[in-house]
Order: sequence, then structure tokens, then C-alpha cells
Amino acid sequence: MHEEAFRFGRASHLVGVAGLPPTGVRETTGVVLLNAGLVHHVGPFRLHVELTRALNTLGYPTLRFDLSTIGDSGSSGESQTRHQQICADVDDAMNLLAHEAGCSRFVLVGLCSGAQNAHVVACTDPRVAGAVFMDGYAYRTLGFKVRHYLPRLMKPASLLRRLTRRRAAKGVPGAQAQPVFAVAASPRAVVRADFTGMVERGMRLCLIYSGGISNFFNHPRQFRECFGAVMRSPEVTTFFVRESDHTYVLTPDRQRLIERIGQWLSLNFPVQRAGSTS
Amino acid sequence: MSTGALKEMPRFFGANRELFGLFHPGAPDAPHAVLLCPPLGQDQIRCHRLYRQLAQALAAEGVPALRFDYYGSGDSAGDSAGLDWNRCVDDAMEAANELRRHSGVDRVVAFGARLGASIAITAATEARFAGIVAWDPVLEGGSHVARLDALQEALRTDSSRFMASRTAADIAGQWQGFAISDRLRRQLLELYVEPPAVPLLVVDTQPDRVARSWRHTVGDEAQVVRLQSATPWDELERMEVAILSQPVIRAVTGHLKEVAHA
Repeated sequence: MHEEAFRFGRASHLVGVAGLPPTGVRETTGVVLLNAGLVHHVGPFRLHVELTRALNTLGYPTLRFDLSTIGDSGSSGESQTRHQQICADVDDAMNLLAHEAGCSRFVLVGLCSGAQNAHVVACTDPRVAGAVFMDGYAYRTLGFKVRHYLPRLMKPASLLRRLTRRRAAKGVPGAQAQPVFAVAASPRAVVRADFTGMVERGMRLCLIYSGGISNFFNHPRQFRECFGAVMRSPEVTTFFVRESDHTYVLTPDRQRLIERIGQWLSLNFPVQRAGSTS
Repeated sequence: MSTGALKEMPRFFGANRELFGLFHPGAPDAPHAVLLCPPLGQDQIRCHRLYRQLAQALAAEGVPALRFDYYGSGDSAGDSAGLDWNRCVDDAMEAANELRRHSGVDRVVAFGARLGASIAITAATEARFAGIVAWDPVLEGGSHVARLDALQEALRTDSSRFMASRTAADIAGQWQGFAISDRLRRQLLELYVEPPAVPLLVVDTQPDRVARSWRHTVGDEAQVVRLQSATPWDELERMEVAILSQPVIRAVTGHLKEVAHA
């Protein structure tokens, strides 16, 4: 595989880097990485570069790119809702990989808002055959609250310290940490139905949630608490990586994440050479 | 002149096409072109937006600009652990020549933030820079290494990031999200940046500016602009927050306009 930089899209407004097989080799499954928040297409701490190169080594064509107005990409100049824009941008990205590597089905990978954007596209685009959602939608279930608050109530001194710190921080401008994870208000029932619909369409899903969003998600059981029985179907794989933070700042954590995604892809989307030449 | 309608072009360049860059076209008769030398590590990701805004502002004035990534960083080839100081300096020279080839403009001014500024100053003679704009340059590597080490240790026990503190082994050999080699650490520990032989503007936004005299380190010839708003380079809680600064962009574009008309 080799990397090529592209300006592409319906308004030639998108910028991305594709990992492509040698000329003449065409692979069925392409992997598209979406922006994590506002971080440009290299990803947090270069996660997307490391992940795409690892997947290229396994034989998958990849594209890491910036959605409209993020990173190096500009505006399409169209009058669209953000959801329409995201769907159109990812469609452009899949068209590029289809043209350059012969891919006919795609796996979307997204972290945080990237997972939520991948979710939007996965709901509607029939070319999306799989998705890796990292720290995507999460809801504070009853189980979450019990696990979160009960240990704190058992330690009143610790609770008091926490409340005192919070009160003090409120009085100091800028003293509170910048949030790195927040959940959009898509209702849980809708997201649950979306996941069910994706699985009924034959999609393979991989949900990887980290300890970095422990203010929303704190146990592997919470996948089922949030999204219901669909999480037990064989098409769905879930991981709760308690020790990791939200953006995989430590290189050993990042390496394990990359290996995990590679293994899941190899199992669910074995590399298939299409055989034809371009 | 406005050339904002011309789109920046991403491409790989250099030996074996290992370096990634985005060329922002300007006017063919521009007085100079500007090479934007990125800082290293997380500073590079935090400054990405500002670098793009600066390049676009320059291109809108007709000044061609090139943004690029060193080997082992950004979209360029190589692992993060392969980042090497001498290679970064060589890459800056390669990028300067690439900018000359693409723009048709021979006179190149370099801009850099933090270690990006240090690289630009170190490469100045061989890259034939006509001038340098250095934003909070790192002129002595030892204290910079100490700051990065302290941040990495603080990260280990950051309860807003991890459910439980991490071990010393977990954080070893890294600075704020990036693997580093012993070689790079040694290179930075030994880093003392001498004043360049070309005109230098220092843009100072460091929070610890009290009692600092740039004259000792950058020489009497350098111009220094101090901006009111301090840049939060080394704050753990803002480690993943983009660094944006219109005052810096205005200071840089304003200075380059003055230089062009001097």
C-alpha cells in the first residue's frame, strides 16, 4: 500500500489521505475514518495515521479525511443541514475509495462526534457494511448511577472533598476543565432502534468505549442497559476499555486499540481481492 | 490582491515523497513566499487551525505559503518515535525548496511556533531564509524537556482523564500522546539556538514573560513584539484544546507586509 493525498468531493472542497493498494489490485472493503471532534484528519495524537497504516498493512484501503469546514477541508457552499452535509461528505469519501481502490462496501470508524457522525451515515447508506463506534452515544442508565454514586456515598469524606472542590471551582473563571466528551441529545430509544435496524440490514458493529467517559459510561453491562438486546447479537462486538482515556493519549493504549480494530476487521471483513484490474 | 478562490493543494513531496504538505497559491509576482514550520508533538495538532488560518490570510494577500509535516509527524511518512531533530531541520530546507519550485518565488520567509521556530532558526542559512518570524521560540532545550516531562508525569495521575492512575511504565518514552526516542530527548536536551544571521521577529505570548529578556538569546538585531494574551502552551487541562489567536495572525501578516514594502 502507498499513501496519496487528495482534494476531492462534489465541490472539490474535501482533503484527505488515502492508503491505496498497488495499481491493478482491487479490494472489496474500504475503511473510512471520520474526524474526532475538531481534530484534523491525523486524529488525536496521530491515532488516525497509525490506525490507517496498520489497516493498510493488513490489506485494507483506507481514507482519513476532513469533513466540510473541519481541518483542511473547506465549505461545499451548499445550503444543507449538518446531517445532510455529513452524509454527502462521507458519500464523496466512499466514491473516492471506490474509484481509487475498487471498494464496494465500507466500514466507518469514528471516535466521539466521529462515532455519532458515522452513526448518522450508517443508518441510511447501504454501502456501509460495518462501523467502529468509539465513545459514541452513551446514556446514564440506572445501573450507571448505582455504580457511579454508591461507592461515593459509602465514603462521605471523599464526597465532601469533591463537593468542596466543585464549589470552589465554580467561583474561579476558567478553573473547570475543558470538556472533551459530551453527548448529543439523540433520544436513547431512537439510537437503540437505529442499532437494531443496522443489524437487521446485516451490518457488523464494533463498539469500543473507554474509561475516559466514565461520567457517562462505566461498565461493560451498560451497552445492554443503553441499547437493549441487540448488543447480544453476534453481529455486534463490544469492548469497555476501563483503563484508557477518551482519546488514547498513551501509546500502549493506542497500540492495543489499533490491534483490536484490526482483529475485528479481519474477523468480520476478511480481505477479499476483487480480482479485476482497473 | 485576493487569491482566496484558489484552493490549497495537498501533496507528498521530497525524496521518496515522504513529506506531506499543503501549498496555498499566491500571486506569481509576490515579494516573498512563506514557509510555515510546524511545532512538534501535541503543539502541532493544537496549532493546526491557526496555521491554516495564517496561510489563508497570506494567500489572500497574494503571498504563497506552504504548510508541511516533518518526517514522523502529521501525515508525513514515519512513526512518531522516528522523529529526529536533524531530520526536521533537513525537512525544513526541503520544504523551502519545494515552496520555491511551486510558487516561482525565490525569497522565502519562515514562520514557526515554539520548536517550529527553533527549527526555522537552525535551518535559516542552509534553507536560505530571507527572514524568520518566531512565535514563542524554544531557545534552550533543557527547560523545555523538563516542562514536557513534568506534564507527562502530571498526566499519569490525571483523574479527569483516567479512572485510575497509570503506572510509570505506561507513560514512559512519551510526551503528551507521542512516542519519543532517546535520541530526540538527547537532541533537545543539547539544544541551544543561536541568533540567526537573517532578520528575526519574535512574537512573545508566553505566560511567564516576567523579567525575561529576549535580547540575551536572540541578539540585539531581533525585533520583539509582545502580545497581551498569553498562550496556554503547557496547561494539562487544555492539552487537547486548539490554540487560536487572531492577534498572532495579525502580528505576523502585518510584519510580513511591512517587510515586503521596506
